[in-house]
Amino acid sequence: MNVEIISDDQRDALQEIVNIGMGQAGASIARVLGEFVELSVPQISAVDADAIPVTLATLAGSGVASAVRQAFLGELRGEAIVIFTEHSASDLAELLSYGNEVDGPASRELLLDISNVLVGACLGGIAELLHAEIGFSAPSLLADQVAPGELVQAETIAARCALLVEVRFGLEKRVFRSHLVMLMPEDAVAALQRALDRFIEEI
Amino acid sequence: MSVSVLVVDDSSMARKMLIRALPPDWDITVRQAANGIEALTAYRQGGVDVIFLDLNMPDMDGYQVLETLRREDLNCLVIVVSADIQEAAQTRVRAMGAIAFIKKPVDAARVKAVLMEYGLLL
Repeated sequence: MNVEIISDDQRDALQEIVNIGMGQAGASIARVLGEFVELSVPQISAVDADAIPVTLATLAGSGVASAVRQAFLGELRGEAIVIFTEHSASDLAELLSYGNEVDGPASRELLLDISNVLVGACLGGIAELLHAEIGFSAPSLLADQVAPGELVQAETIAARCALLVEVRFGLEKRVFRSHLVMLMPEDAVAALQRALDRFIEEI
Repeated sequence: MSVSVLVVDDSSMARKMLIRALPPDWDITVRQAANGIEALTAYRQGGVDVIFLDLNMPDMDGYQVLETLRREDLNCLVIVVSADIQEAAQTRVRAMGAIAFIKKPVDAARVKAVLMEYGLLL
């Protein structure tokens, strides 16, 4: 069930700002992986907290998936969750020549590293455009090779309602797909709205 | 004679940001399109001199627009304006006929430099 929590102008500005952040994240992982990264058009929606697990499961698709979570704090506050679809980890390991270690800790470390690059570049870019201070917690593994429905539990989400921003990264000729989702609780959205209004006034 | 400019981006905010970054003394008429299909329709009506083209758009993206323009005897200058700043994206669009690549967020000085380089602005 979608609830309107930001205005059309704010949504339009946020979409373009996220687009720029995503571009920076895409360029960062393109450099790390040495591959062309395909970017999606960012999707923004307001979701009830209890709908978040289902929304994330839908993004993850049909196979087992993994997810990494990283909190962001400061003027912009919320949680970034990076979902990796099935075989993405082994695809990454192959690209980065990790060889046979793909099922072990090395593979999990790889997901944390890639998430860190994506989240840092994307949210860093967004914060810069909004002239907002932002900090990040260390990334942690939320789910490792689980069914999409088990990626995140509803009770771990504190907010009643959240703003969900989603971007997708893919690699040409490879199965790697990841979704970067930003969840901002309702009470953090007010600060975002103020920052967006400042941004809109500037242009 | 004023230059006819077509600004193509799915985000109205992005179009606004680009138009604000164009040199104030540049004699132009501006048309806007929200996706590749609208862009081609405007282009085929004729008279478009310069297209500022976004890459990531729903329905028809910037790459498809470039491909179509090339098939139809590209008769205008295309400047790609994109948040996708990968080296490979820049190389691709130049190979497809774009004269320049401007990164988002758009920097007015960079726009001016590109326009002067191609004699669009004296």
